[in-house]
Amino acid sequence: MADLPLPPHVAEAPPAAEAPQVRAPEAPKPIISAALTDANIQVKSNFRGARIVLYGAVFDAAARPSDVVVLVRGPEQPVRITRKIQVAGLWINSRPVVFRGAPGFYRAASNRPLADIANFGTLRRLGAGIDHLTFAAPAEQRVETRYGVRDVVVNQLGADYYDWKSAVVRLKEAAGLYREDEHGVRFVDRGLFRAEIALPAGAPTGVYRADIILFQNGKPVAQRTRTLTVQKVGAERALYVLAHDRPWSYGLASMAFALAVGWAASAAFRRD
Amino acid sequence: MDIYLPIAEVAVNAPLIVALGALVGFISGMFGIGGGFLMTPLLVFFGVPAPVAVGSMANHVAASSMSSVIAYSRRRAVDLRMGAVLATGGVIGAYAGVEIFRLLRLLGQADLVVSVSYLVFLSVIGGLMLTESLGAILRRRRGEPQPPHRDRRPVWLYGLPLKMRFPRSRLYISVIPPLLLGAFVGMLSAIMGVGGGFILVPAMVYLLRMPAGMVVGTSLLQIIITTALTGVLQAGRNQTVDIVLATLLLVGGVMGAQLGARASARFRAEELRAILALIVLLVGLRMGLGLFFRPEEPFILMSGMGG
Repeated sequence: MADLPLPPHVAEAPPAAEAPQVRAPEAPKPIISAALTDANIQVKSNFRGARIVLYGAVFDAAARPSDVVVLVRGPEQPVRITRKIQVAGLWINSRPVVFRGAPGFYRAASNRPLADIANFGTLRRLGAGIDHLTFAAPAEQRVETRYGVRDVVVNQLGADYYDWKSAVVRLKEAAGLYREDEHGVRFVDRGLFRAEIALPAGAPTGVYRADIILFQNGKPVAQRTRTLTVQKVGAERALYVLAHDRPWSYGLASMAFALAVGWAASAAFRRD
Repeated sequence: MDIYLPIAEVAVNAPLIVALGALVGFISGMFGIGGGFLMTPLLVFFGVPAPVAVGSMANHVAASSMSSVIAYSRRRAVDLRMGAVLATGGVIGAYAGVEIFRLLRLLGQADLVVSVSYLVFLSVIGGLMLTESLGAILRRRRGEPQPPHRDRRPVWLYGLPLKMRFPRSRLYISVIPPLLLGAFVGMLSAIMGVGGGFILVPAMVYLLRMPAGMVVGTSLLQIIITTALTGVLQAGRNQTVDIVLATLLLVGGVMGAQLGARASARFRAEELRAILALIVLLVGLRMGLGLFFRPEEPFILMSGMGG
């Protein structure tokens, strides 16, 4: 997220140039701070309700009305998506398209609807909200020279590109991986807030990044970033690792086990 | 009670999957088939990704066939030599099938080929079996004599070289037809996640003219060998074998298979064939129907192989 408008510690050391934008010079710039209750989340395979819990506080001497947005992003995963197309009366899969840059998990938690907190442009710049995620299908784009104009970006998906992109978001949303939660951040006391983010079974493992952003008057005025690690543990995880790291041993062992069960069952049910 | 399937990466209801295994096991034991053609679509229906359903079915089919083949071999109803010839073909076919399936997944067309295979093979086989068995039932009801057992075997069975004696089946035929049959069924086993009994059994009866008593036990032997190989290849090449899923199915499946094998003794052969034909036909049509209707959600995320 190099394109974030505010570096993480802008709240402590505001650049002089921005000072006039924050209305009253007499009030010190607000500060947001946040902490995760657990930065290393272990997800058991048979779990119910693994969650990221985050506490934070807004320090603002002027007590201006504040909104807090928490953006949690999982590690980036390429997305392979296909579309059913009708060919000779049959509905079949089209050529798959690969999107890159999409987070494997995304939550935008806030204390009220994002659209009420800031305007479209601000949300887009911050990537706040599932409509503002930036990812692309690089393999579908190429730069070429057309009509003598150099470096024209041509997208092979043409006008359907937006449909494909929104389908990625829609399907990830249906899988519980992308969500906006407009009540995900709750102020529990004056300036003190709590955010709780549930992890679904399909949440990817790896390093997650949580951006906690303080909005005042529709503008992001302070930000904190926290990272956390999501690990899957337990017997099922061990099986998954084994099946992918040593597939042949796993396959042989599974088959030997299955045949042994079949044999044992026939012995158990033998009537004579 | 939900249980998480580590390879499929979905949570399923464990008792439901065990019950599914028992139901399919019952049908499998009753008709002497693996039951994969029924189980794979059911698993997909309950949310297991199709490649994982296909891969894990190999383990389940191998195990349930194992439990029934022992019962058949005790009754001396297995032609080991024919089984070995069929299985040799099956091994070649299974290897080719796993590679084809891998390629299809890369192209994103695995779903299509699976649906079309189900539609074509199950409808044709189910239709043929239904016609034949209903004819036999009607003739018996009307008290007409069954058509004389045609012992004239097709010329091509005798015209081919590499003849081999199969004393148990009282056959002296070329090994080429059983080899090809085995290879074809092996390939289907890898692509459709089935044992292939639904093709193997009729083909052994009508094409190879094996004695009815030998067919089921021998086909089970071929299915075990082919699916055992398919299961290992699917795990090794495609990482799509979910042992937790296969085990759940097995628990129900082996019990169902034993009960089914006993129940089969109470029905006449042609009645069994008619029931099986109906099941086969229905599954084939159900799997194929999706090809003709506009899908509600036109886009599909493809699991795994994201790069």
